[in-house]
This record gives sequence, structure tokens and C-alpha cells, in this order.
Amino acid sequence: MSAVADKPAAITSRFDPRFEVTLYRHVGVDGAHTLEHYRARGGYRAAEKALTTMTPTQVIDEVKASGLRGRGGAGFPAGLKWSFMPPIDGRQRFIVCNGDESEPGSFKDRYLMEDDPHQLIEGMLIAGWAIQATIGILYVRGEYYLAYERMRAAIAEARAAGLLGRGVFATEAEGEGDEATPASPGFDFDIILHRGAGAYICGEETALMNSFEGLRANPRLKPPFPAQAGVYGRPTTINNVESFCSVTHIIGRGAAWYAAMGTDDSKGTKLYQLSGPVARPGVYEMPMGATFRELIFDLGGGPTEPAKAIIPGGSSTPMLPWSDETLDLPMDYGTMAKVGSMLGTGGVIVVPESQCMVDAMANVVRFYAHESCGKCTPCREGVATWLPKMYQKLLAGLGTREDLTLMEEMVRNLRGTAFCPLADACAMPVAASFQHFRHEYEHLVDHGQPKYPTVSRWAE
Amino acid sequence: MKVVVDGVTLDLPPGTSAIDAVFAAGSDVPYFCSQPYMSPIGACRMCLAKVGAPRKDRDGSWVLDEETGEPKIFWFPNLMATCTTAVMDGMVVDTRSEQVKAAQHGMVEFTLINHPLDCPVCDKGGACELQDRAYEYGEGLSRFVFDKRHQEKHHALSDLITLDRERCIHCKRCVRYFEEVPGDEVLDFIERGGHTYIGTLEEGLPSNFTGNITDICPVGALLDTTSRFRGRNWEYHHTETTSLDDASGSAIVVDGRTGRIERIKAGHQPEINKTWIDDGTRFGHEYADAPDRVRRPLVRHNGRLVETDWDDALGYVAARLRELNGRDVGVAIRADATLEEGVAARALADHLGSGQLDHAPRPAGGVIAPGGQARLQELAVAGAILVVGDVTEEVPIVDLRIKDALRGVTPPALFDHGAPIADLRLKERAPRRAEILTVAAPVRVDLMRHAGRSARYPAGGEHAFFRALTALAEGGTPDAEALGMPLEAATAAVAGLTKAETAVVVLGGWVLASLQATEAALHFCRAVGAKPMPLGPMANSYGLELVGVAPSHARYAYGGMLAGAKALILSQLDPAIDPAMAERLGQLELLVVHASFLTATAKLADVVLPAATGYEKDGTVVNLEGRMLPVRAAPVDAGEARDLTGLVKAFGEAAGQRLEGRSVKSARRWLKKSLGVDLDALPGLGAWAPAKRGPARVAVAAHEAPAHGGALRVPTMVRAEVLDRNPHLLAATGGLALGLHPDDAAELKLRAGDEVTVPVAGVPRRLVVRPSEAVPAGLATVPATPDEPVGLVPIDLKQIALERRALEVA
Repeated sequence: MSAVADKPAAITSRFDPRFEVTLYRHVGVDGAHTLEHYRARGGYRAAEKALTTMTPTQVIDEVKASGLRGRGGAGFPAGLKWSFMPPIDGRQRFIVCNGDESEPGSFKDRYLMEDDPHQLIEGMLIAGWAIQATIGILYVRGEYYLAYERMRAAIAEARAAGLLGRGVFATEAEGEGDEATPASPGFDFDIILHRGAGAYICGEETALMNSFEGLRANPRLKPPFPAQAGVYGRPTTINNVESFCSVTHIIGRGAAWYAAMGTDDSKGTKLYQLSGPVARPGVYEMPMGATFRELIFDLGGGPTEPAKAIIPGGSSTPMLPWSDETLDLPMDYGTMAKVGSMLGTGGVIVVPESQCMVDAMANVVRFYAHESCGKCTPCREGVATWLPKMYQKLLAGLGTREDLTLMEEMVRNLRGTAFCPLADACAMPVAASFQHFRHEYEHLVDHGQPKYPTVSRWAE
Repeated sequence: MKVVVDGVTLDLPPGTSAIDAVFAAGSDVPYFCSQPYMSPIGACRMCLAKVGAPRKDRDGSWVLDEETGEPKIFWFPNLMATCTTAVMDGMVVDTRSEQVKAAQHGMVEFTLINHPLDCPVCDKGGACELQDRAYEYGEGLSRFVFDKRHQEKHHALSDLITLDRERCIHCKRCVRYFEEVPGDEVLDFIERGGHTYIGTLEEGLPSNFTGNITDICPVGALLDTTSRFRGRNWEYHHTETTSLDDASGSAIVVDGRTGRIERIKAGHQPEINKTWIDDGTRFGHEYADAPDRVRRPLVRHNGRLVETDWDDALGYVAARLRELNGRDVGVAIRADATLEEGVAARALADHLGSGQLDHAPRPAGGVIAPGGQARLQELAVAGAILVVGDVTEEVPIVDLRIKDALRGVTPPALFDHGAPIADLRLKERAPRRAEILTVAAPVRVDLMRHAGRSARYPAGGEHAFFRALTALAEGGTPDAEALGMPLEAATAAVAGLTKAETAVVVLGGWVLASLQATEAALHFCRAVGAKPMPLGPMANSYGLELVGVAPSHARYAYGGMLAGAKALILSQLDPAIDPAMAERLGQLELLVVHASFLTATAKLADVVLPAATGYEKDGTVVNLEGRMLPVRAAPVDAGEARDLTGLVKAFGEAAGQRLEGRSVKSARRWLKKSLGVDLDALPGLGAWAPAKRGPARVAVAAHEAPAHGGALRVPTMVRAEVLDRNPHLLAATGGLALGLHPDDAAELKLRAGDEVTVPVAGVPRRLVVRPSEAVPAGLATVPATPDEPVGLVPIDLKQIALERRALEVA
């Protein structure tokens, strides 16, 4: 430990005096979406630094050193992903931003795009430079109309200001003789803004590319991975909105600043979203490794009624029972994996005691059933057809104990057998509900009535 | 690469899919979505297996198992779809563990929950992949207690294909097929999740290759409408034979029941048609069972044709021929007769002492002897291709093999279990190398959609076209107008052909119709170092040339004998559709017609002998690349119909002679002696025909067709001469088309769908008006038949007679 002892302790709490809100600095501020506001607060300096003083490899190395892991849910190291791009061979390269935030319980990217669009554009510009892609594609979820409008306006502003388009940060030759700085042609980069049409599966990276190309939004076979054959079969890198925004600050303030936050395997600052019956639900930026307790009690003001479970990272992640042990868990990738769940997008949902778990799961399953693309058998027949019908049967009070066994078997058959993670996304929370709350299912089939009657949760 | 499947160690090339490793090891996994020659997509999730592989340390040595000292196997956390997993060195695949079995049960159960299980009334029953796999891998029990999905059960995707949407298991084979194989994207999934179904936004399925989806459908969802509800699979007698519909030599399987052909499916010929056939070949069999088939010999008594038997008919023929000098007798057969029939025709002419022997249609450019031309496997890997003609209609399989070349994936090596089930080199929506293909024709043809460069030269301008190209190749100045495309495009095309390691020039019927054009084309091929691929006009044009079904002198060729012979023996030819010719034939001393139907010529004949169709005879054909392929008779009830060997046998008996070619066996003895080929021992893939010809008769080119006129006779995928007797194809195609430029049609006050009669080269043709921008102004297109071969001919549009107006569509 002696080698570590010299280093200051990592920042793992929002209340650590060294921590400052970074990604969400401008969110909620009137007029923050304008270029004027953004530039007045140091905007685009990171991009200028990257494009004028750093080579693409240096940018990638900086991102690698920061320990940034993709914020879309899977947590794949971003710098490593960028380094998978093949050598430059004259083919068009693409950088894609996945703004199709559709996971129930996730709503962080929305405000990033609505209130701080230039932060994202700057991140994409830096990433485009890093992988030498001259075209960025921003795929915005169809329902996010304000985000789309704001992004459209911001891209137009950036173009007008020469921050997008031909020769970004181009410089004239200066001085004479030995001290002359040669002219730099700058970097050609532009962003294509694309609105989705409201399909969850488009958040899957290859389905997103199919959708962008105007094809049916089915996930594609991997390999080839997007770095080999992505948009239009060309080398492509795709990241989440929050990842790009983080890159802006990693370049602006340095990898060391970023890596000083978080735990061993999860570095930096992250946006956590809190929903469910808590006093102050919303998006909270915290360093990686902060605990559920800090989020739910210290920031969220605590549950407004007794709770029984925590869903840690959006509806597809297996729930954890509400307990002191759970509340003290740090919210990072490694810890969540260790307890059999996932950090996902950091969309924390608190499930109240009075909510029938069977009904809650029926709601989750109905969502995934509706969103299944129909390409592969287990998802089309299991997730989209059979499982929702089983829940209907249970909730109608017609279920039997055999049905519960059948459902558990079905969920086992869905795990890891489907083409893309959507079936897992449905099967995992259901499996977890059976693991922790089987007694509620049993109560329902034995009595024909749920233990906790379903009541409307819309505000009175 | 060393791979271990269920304990069996194999050595497989890199890039092999794990599913092929499983089959190569003699193990089995079920699959629905994979299909040979198409991209694997991993959609059905049936072929899941437990897969593991050793790992290497940083220093490059294997990570060893501490207990055994062997390389340690790291199992993948999830079961893997073997169809989309490439083998790795040292990979271990386990298809038999309880975990795999449970997953297979689960997938079968999922697949069946929305499947109607109406096997007892399903045409696929007994030959259904789902049925087999459900028996082998299912638990025989359904726990799904809810209503199944209800959708349309009799959706006519086109006039030829019926879709049962309830039976569909969404394997996507059909959707992928259209995108990947013919490149005609006419089908797709609609809706999503559990509501997904296949459908089309078009009227019908506009493609020449739609029927293949009924072969590859793993369930009874896509069915051939011509055979729907006609029989159960175990009742069919399957005959593996070769199609005589065009010169490709495509393998087909004829399924017959109680003496009738019910359906035709594609056979597997990896080097020719792979597993695909065109719709003309598949659905064009109904004519064989047409009610007006000639089933018994007919002899003219007192001016009327009267039924009789073969002995009587041939006794009459022999007697009449004895009265005539044999030299005045002409013998002509259609160019889709088998080699054995060719031998019989030769023997007959030799016996008569006649030099008037020919096969027709024989293009003016002659038929290039086997040996020099490109092979289909070469075409499929060519680096540059020039097509002059409309291959999609003329020999559709050539169109598909060109599309193989556009995909740029070489034909796969075969396993013991056949073509790879999952060829990982094939990808969905892979980019095509359109730049390697140049297509030229006087009209817009379908293949131009896939070509990097298209040329539309003036009709009849094939000779000038090739001369201009040759000028480019040899550094001269080309006649820019003759090229029909911008000079830069032509230059690029010529440069591509010159540079490519394998370059192929496909010569369609319009080129071959002219001797000059053919010679210019061959000259061009030599100039750029490309191999020619002349499309033989009919299924055995090459073979009949090979055995020397040819006149002893140019003036005794088919055209000459029609004009000069005193007696004619014609097999399957119908020159009397031309009224002027009918008059001439009526004056012959003897006209013997061997035909399947009472054609215009047969109606004039003294003797009509019932002829076997291409489905009803045994023999051999030589396809356009020079490959000898077997033709086998399906058990069809065709009355007393015989092929030409049967005719010669009966004739020999009547004449007291034992002629060569009196049977298939006898003809093969002659072929063995003369050409050194043993056709009884023909391997499954066929064999290359010898380059040498049979004992010489003088081989001469047929007469040069007139190269002027306002009508271009165009090849058609369907056999135009029997289209009326193929009701389903007739409905699908809407009849034989008179193609006119819309302006020309408007000037003639003709609407799309009007039925007209118009004299084309003197022959009154009944056609359906189809205005199209594809046809240049001032030109009309009419379908070619064996008796009216492709080429430019006169048409008298002033004499066009409107037979029936098309219904006006509001």
C-alpha cells in the first residue's frame, strides 16, 4: 500500500471538496444552450487544444489514461475502442454519437443535449480528430424533440462560427524565417443530425447504424465490429452522449484530473439518474464509486415511502433488495458485477414496498415485448409473445405454481441465447424478481390476488 | 486448424464456420436460418453449442491446464450460435451436453409456439425442416396455452407463390435470398417483434428468380402455387435431371405423381446453378400435361389426320420414303434434342443418304465448339465482365453467376456434407463490385441496374459496337455513336477487361445472330485477352454441333432444306407459323412431323409422331460451357410419345434396318466409339465434352439473318412457344409482350395491356402491348421462339390489328 499511500485518496463522493460538477455544469441554466454562453465559459478550448497541439494518437492515449469507460451501459473502455480503428486507408470514417437514450430509468443524455449541446459537439469534434473521421453522425431519440431542436440550432451555430465544416481551427502562416509557424489546414469535420423514430432497439449500436442507413433496425452480426465495418460498411466508432461530453473535459483538464475520481476499475465523474418514490428524483452528477445511500438519501432526500428494491442501472439491470448492505455499495462497474447486477446507464430506480413486484415486472416485460425487433427466435417468441402472455395470465389471477416454474425455465432459456442483448435485458430483471421476490408471485397464484394491490401512481 | 467436435478431431481451413465443423465431424445441430450460398445471420438460434478454445499467454505459449498439462480450454460464457462462429485453432465444440440439449429443446419450443402445426394439411409435410427438427430436438410437448398468432394463410405473393403467414418462422432466408442472390429486393419483413411478417410493396414479385424461395423455405410458408395441394411429399417420384429450357444445363428435380409433373425444384449443381433456377425453368412445366398434347401417332387419310400406332405410322413413312430419292429428304431437329437424339438424326440421314441434316435454331455466327469458351466458374470469379445481350432473359443462370462475381466471393470448397451451410465470407448487404460489369444492349435490360457501365447501341449494331471497342483496345479511334456509351466509360470498360486476370465477354443471341458481329466479338476478345461466353441458343446447341448434326453443304442447311427439299422430317420445329412457309410445306411430297403438340406444321403433315418433351427422355446435353450433363426421364404419362431415338427405332424396324441411335444405349455406343465418351459413367457433376467433333459432316454456318427492320426479337425467360399452355406463367407474365416506346404506343393509340396481332417478319404474332421506356423510340420488341430466333427483323406496324382493348384503369 505504500506506493498508493503517497497518492491522495480517490474522489468517490460528491461531497468531497475536490469534486465539482462538470458535465452538468450548464444544465438548468437559462440560455446555456447557446454558443455565446458556452464560449464565454471556456467552450471549445479543449477541441482547439486537441486539434492544434495534439496528434490523434495522443488524444487516444489521453482518453485511455483517463480510464473512461463507455457511458452507454456496457462500460467498454472508450480509448481502447477508439484504438480498434483500422489504419487510414482512404475510406470514409465515421464517428457516431448514440443519442437514442431509451432505457426506462435513463434520462441523463436528454438534458446534456437540451441544455449543453456544444459540450457534445466539442466532444465529437475531438473524437473525430482522434480517429480521423471527418463525418460525425448524431442519432437523437425521436421523442427528444427539444434535444433535436437544440442540437440542430447548435450545429448551425457551430458551422457559422467555423467550428464545424472545412478547416476547423485552420491557421495562417505567421512570422518569417526560422521562427515561422507554417499554415495549418485545420480539420474538416461536420455532423449529420438524425432523428430516430422511436424504437428502443435503435439504441443497439449496429441496429442504430442500420436505422441511420434507412434499413430495418435489426442488429447486425458481430464481427465485423463497427471499427471494421460500421456505417455504410466503413470504419466507424460509436459512443454514448455522456462519453463524448466526458472526453471534452478529459482533454480540457487532463486525464489525471479525471482519473483522480472513482474506483480502481471505474474512473471519473458520472451522471446518475434517480427515479421512484424519492423526495427529489432527478439527475445527479457524482464521482464513480459513490454509494446508493449518498444518491438516494443525501441527494435524493430519501424514499417517501418504504422501499423494497433498487434497480441500479436502468430497467434491464437485475434489481437488488433494499438493505443497508445494498445502500452502502459503491456504484461502479466492478461492484455491480460482483453482486450480480450491472451499472448500466446509472439509472437508479427505487421500488416501493407497496408496488406489486409481479405488476412491476409485467410492465417491464411489456416494454421489451413491444420493442423486440423480431429477428431472432427467443426474443420474438419468448420476450415478445410468451412472457407477456404469462404475466397477463398471472395478473388476471389465473396463474398456477407450475406457471411460475415454466416462467423460470423460459427465462433460463432466454439468457445468453438471443442474437443481441435485448432478450437478456428482459430476462435478467425477471430472473432477479424471481430470485428476490418469488414469494410475491406465489402469493398471487395462491390467492388470485396480488399481495400489494395495484394503484395508480400518477400524481393525484 | 485443429478443431475437436464431440471428441472427433478435425483439420479444417481457417474461416470455416463451427456449424460446418459440426457437420464435418458427423455430428448434428439443428438450423433454420442458415442456407448454403447465403450469408449466415444467426437469427434462429437453433444451432447453439458449447464452444471453448485455448488461450495464448503474452509470450505466445498456450495457457496450460494445471492438472492435465494440456492447453486449457476456456469455455465461452454463453452458448454460441455455431453458424456465426469461426473455428479457432484448438477449438472444442460440444453439441451433446445437457446444457446444449436444454437450449435446443427451448428453441424448438419457442419456434413452435406461434406455428400452427397444421402438418396434416401442409404441402411441406414430410419434407419439412421444422417438422424433422421438432421431432429430433423437441420435447414433443407444448406448454403454450394461449392463442397462436393469426395471420393470412393464403396470401398470393405473386401468381406463382403463395405465402402462409402463420407458418412462417422468420428465418429470413427468403428476404436475404432476394437481396443477396438475384439482387432484386422485392421482399422484406414488415412490423416488428411478435407481429413480424414478410411482405412486399410491389405488385407481385418482379424478379426472374422468385421460385427459389419455395425451395429454401424451411417450412410450408412459401409454396409453389402450381403444385399447392397437388400431393404429399412421399407420393412424389423425384427425378434428378437437367433443364432443357436454356443452355445453362441447370440441375433440376422433377417431382411427378401419377404420371403428371406436379412441380420442379432446383437441383444442386455447385459449378453451374448452385441451388438456384429461374422461374421459367421452375414453373414452365405445365405444358407437358396440356390437354392438347399429341399422344398417339397420326397419319393423314383422305385429307384428315387419323390416330394410329407407331408401327403403322412408320410403315407408312418407310414406304413413302422408298418412293423418294433419299437425297431429296431433309431432316431437321430442334437444338434442345439430346446428344443421343442427334446420333439418331444422323443415322436417319445417313441411312437415307441425305446431306440435308441440321439442327435449328442455329445462329448465323455458328456455334463455337466446346473448349475455347469461358466456364461458369470462371465467370463467377471474373475481374471484368462485358455482357452484350439480355442474359437475365436468355440464360438467367448466367445472370446469377455474374452477380456472384459482383459479390467478389469465390465459390466455396465443398465439404462431404456439400456446400458450406454457413459461409462466413458472405455478408448481408455486402457492397457489390458494380465497376467490373459493363452491359450493352439495344434496349434497357435488367442487368444494367447492377452494372457500373451500361451502353445502348443502335439495334442491329453489334458488329459496329465490337469494331468500335476493338479500335479502343488497339489504340485506334472508335466510332463513338456505335458504342452507345460515353467514350470514357467505354475506355474504362476496355481497360478493365484488358487488366483483369479473368475477363469474360458474354455474347448474347443478338451478337451470334450475325456472322460478322460474332467474328468481331471474337476478335475483340483476343485483343483484350478475354474469354468469350457465347450463349448457345438452346439447351444442346453445342452437343449437336459436336456430334455433327450438320448438312453436307451450306445450301442443305435448315433454311435451304425448307426451300428445296421434296420431303421433310422435322422434330419439334414449327416453320409453318409463317403463312408463306406453310404454303410451301403444303406442297411437299412427304412431311413427317415429330412434335408434342398439333402445331401449325403438324397440321400440314402427312404423319405426326408424338414427341417426348424434355422431361420425358433419357440422354445427355452439352451446356454452354461445354459440360456434358445427364437428362433423365421422369415418370410422366405422355401417351405414346417418344424421343427421336424411339422414332428411329420404329423407322428402322419398318425399313428392316438396325440403325445407330435406335435407342439411348445404341447411341451411346456410337458416341463412345466416335468421341471416346462413356455417357453411362457420367459423374454427378457432368464431364467436359471432348474438343474433337464426331466423324465429319461439313459444318457450315446457317444463313445470315436479315439485319434490318423495326422489330427486335428478344429472348424471354419463359418459353414463348408454349406460354399459352403454362397457365400460371402466363398469368404471371401477362402474356407475350409487344414492347414499344410510350410515344410510339401513343401514336398507334395503343394502351398497356391491349391485345394485338401484328405481322413480324411475315409471321402474325398475337401480343400484349407493353409500353416501356426501356425500348428506344422507333423500335418494337417481340419475344423470340425457337422458330423465330433472336435478332432484328421487319415488322409492319401499319397492319397492327387490335384484338381486345385493355380494361381502362381509373
